[in-house]
Amino acid sequence: MRSPVLPLTWHLAKSSGRRGLQNHLLAAAAAAVGSLVLLTLLAAYLGAGARADRTAWRTPAPDRHGTAIEALATTYVRDEPITVVSLAQLPGRRTTPAPPGLNTFPKQGEWYVSPALAKLLRALPSAQLAYRFPKSTPSGTIGTAGLASSDELVAVIGRAPTDPAVSKSADAQGFYDEGLTSRAVVSGFSGTRRSVFTVDDQSAVLLGVGLLVVPVIVLASAAGRLGAARREQRLAALRLAGATPRQILAMSGVEAAAVGAAGALTGALAYGALLPALAEVPYSIGTWYTGQLWVGLPWVVAVVVGVAGLIAVSAVSMLRQVASSPLGVARQSDPRRTRLVRLVLFLAVLVYIRVSTDGRTLKPGTLVALMLLFYGGFWMFGPWVVDRLGRIAGRFARRPATLLAARRLSDDPRGAWRTVSGLVLAGFVAGFFTVGHLGIVGLDHRGQVAVPTANAADARHAVGEARRLLRAAGVDATVGTSDDGILLGGMDGVVAHVSGGPDRLDTAVTSLQPLGAGRLPYAGAYAEAPDTSVTDRLAQLGTATLAVSFLIATASAGLTAAANVLDRRRTYGLLRLSGTPLKVLDRARVRETVLPLLVLAGGTTATGLYAAVQVNKAAGSTISTSGAVQLAVCVTLGALAMLAAIGASRPLLRAVTADPTRATD
Amino acid sequence: MSTVLAGVGLTKKYGSTTALAGVDVEVGTRDSLAIMGPSGSGKSTLLHTLAGIIRPDGGQVLLRGERIDDLGENRLSALRRKRFGFVFQSGQLLPELPAEENVALPLMLEGLPRAQAVERARRWFAPLGLDGLERRRPGQLSGGQAQRVAIARALAVAPDVVFADEPTGALDQATGTEVVRLLTSVTREQGAALVMVTHDAEVAAHCDRILQVRDGRITNYSQFTAS
Repeated sequence: MRSPVLPLTWHLAKSSGRRGLQNHLLAAAAAAVGSLVLLTLLAAYLGAGARADRTAWRTPAPDRHGTAIEALATTYVRDEPITVVSLAQLPGRRTTPAPPGLNTFPKQGEWYVSPALAKLLRALPSAQLAYRFPKSTPSGTIGTAGLASSDELVAVIGRAPTDPAVSKSADAQGFYDEGLTSRAVVSGFSGTRRSVFTVDDQSAVLLGVGLLVVPVIVLASAAGRLGAARREQRLAALRLAGATPRQILAMSGVEAAAVGAAGALTGALAYGALLPALAEVPYSIGTWYTGQLWVGLPWVVAVVVGVAGLIAVSAVSMLRQVASSPLGVARQSDPRRTRLVRLVLFLAVLVYIRVSTDGRTLKPGTLVALMLLFYGGFWMFGPWVVDRLGRIAGRFARRPATLLAARRLSDDPRGAWRTVSGLVLAGFVAGFFTVGHLGIVGLDHRGQVAVPTANAADARHAVGEARRLLRAAGVDATVGTSDDGILLGGMDGVVAHVSGGPDRLDTAVTSLQPLGAGRLPYAGAYAEAPDTSVTDRLAQLGTATLAVSFLIATASAGLTAAANVLDRRRTYGLLRLSGTPLKVLDRARVRETVLPLLVLAGGTTATGLYAAVQVNKAAGSTISTSGAVQLAVCVTLGALAMLAAIGASRPLLRAVTADPTRATD
Repeated sequence: MSTVLAGVGLTKKYGSTTALAGVDVEVGTRDSLAIMGPSGSGKSTLLHTLAGIIRPDGGQVLLRGERIDDLGENRLSALRRKRFGFVFQSGQLLPELPAEENVALPLMLEGLPRAQAVERARRWFAPLGLDGLERRRPGQLSGGQAQRVAIARALAVAPDVVFADEPTGALDQATGTEVVRLLTSVTREQGAALVMVTHDAEVAAHCDRILQVRDGRITNYSQFTAS
């Protein structure tokens, strides 16, 4: 016999009326946001990896029997890195294949630049940039296959094998050169080592994904619970009419999954439509090529199915009770209490995290796992706190609105927790990332340019030449052979202390290039690059994670508030009919959110702060005071946004109680 | 018996449908009035109009001689809160509040301190046969018990009039009879008037008077000497 589940589900969905449609639309909207955010996160993760891989050809695997020499160098202009790849075909060897982005291997004297560098060359005076290259005009531009980002500044220069720029002296020699300079004999460009500017991108995104995936799950879960009261009543009635638990769960699952799939698909379409806009969001080395952010159809399908499945699971888990005890749910007789075991589990998680992190350097994957564990622990703990908070507030409440809010909290602590959980967990992110700006303390290379030399004697000899070159370029500078050894990273060389702004510094770097004998002169940005590439990523990640967290948290709060109004419209209507002022009902709704928000979000933000301070302490760095201000602003804005989201359902509350006679129907 | 509430020449239309076509009705202190009629006859519209929930198109509603149908929404809301009590078929109790707090809520809304409000609310439990159920939530009460809590809540503010809309509609016959007996007797004891809409003739028989309504008009009027 054919199963009645699908036809009956379809019939009930069709006949659910305007209220059912409202719930379905809200759930679908949440699914759309969830799928859009997940696909964007996935795109950033996969895109960051794909993008970093596109830089690997610049440091190819050495081949003793290779056909060409490749030397990687990095120079800076306006504190932005320019990757310089010097290539020299070795005589008597077979022709080396063209590097990615070029049609042929560059001949001696040919040089190619990325479009962004070409633009910069046109914009800046030659003395500041163009004179660093062999000719005033490039031979052509590098194609996208050779670039990780359209914003990347890259030059590929064809040289003679005897050119100092590809000589052994061009290889990494100093403390700061790691990843910025290298040299190898190669036979092709199939390298696997990602550039120093992109190597941490994917790990940082993974950390962000770890932080954001929970709020997304919360959102999807909230979507699955939309219309719960109505569905409970309807399905309890079906259960009483003889439907089996399995049929009931199947009907709920099918309905929620269908709505979720429709929403998730909409989110996926929005992701597709927004790809060009997303590609314009700079991260790490700059904006993206649109193709880098396309995750591929299998991932799109997986996310749509995943979000729909999550919503279905959430809806079904809500109804497990109805399946087992229809009368209980029909009359809502069981208060949803929380047990002490939640506190115990949370404490156990905290102890485990403390033991796992004590004095150890953590890999990003481990860090994400611990972060998820903390989230999981807090997920258990949150409802317990809400329950206790509700009981305490209920004991001391004097006003009806506070009493209503407190009783609601202790009546359904899990529901109340879901409303605020997004912002509570975002508070942790905010606390950690805004104040935990790591950075090198005490190093200041401002206004300095270093030129490494082969030895100390060369350095002494180069001082006079450096003064002459700087004078000729019109740069005021004092030149010596040492700057306490910091900017030269242990190498011999010349250091010029330049007076003036960035243009003077760039002019000095350009004018001192002939001194380098294969090594490019560099300024402070070069020395700080490995650290700044990490700290900048974390700062970007922190800001992006915060923004998205608050966005999702606000969406979750607004959605849950609207769902609660729709689910409780009859009670609200009857209360208003009996003369209960709308503002009392509204205040109760707001307090129901504000009370746990103040306690829990305050708690997690403080925990995030503590974690940031500990990490900074371990790294010997100072905490970011500007970050503390940013944190205060973020938390305030987040709380205000959440209250606004709840306030947005006030017209809905007014509308559903506007005609009290309908409440008696 | 002095008149507490009166409707004079009440008319109400929904589009082309006439819900009330010039109804005159009045209830006095300790008076109970049952309004009966088939579905769509206008009985609920009449109750809602008398309670200040619906504004009539024509006619007047007078509470102790003062017109209330032309009051602003806020004043009407306050009037319903302070001088009327309501008992509905079901769903009027807040599921998360214990029974005593459900009863105390209208008193707290009137500004009574919580402790006093709860104390006053508790006084209703024994007379209504709810002793020991003060801390139970609505979901933990039987249908009849929940309706008795609703009656306590309606009477807690010492209203002039209690409006009951199908108060036994969700109850079995025996429980319904018990609830309506309590409702009429306690309302009378409190010196309030009762206006009740019901389908059930046995329930209506507990009231002093019965109005039969059809097509927005009073078609029959019965008065009992005792109930």
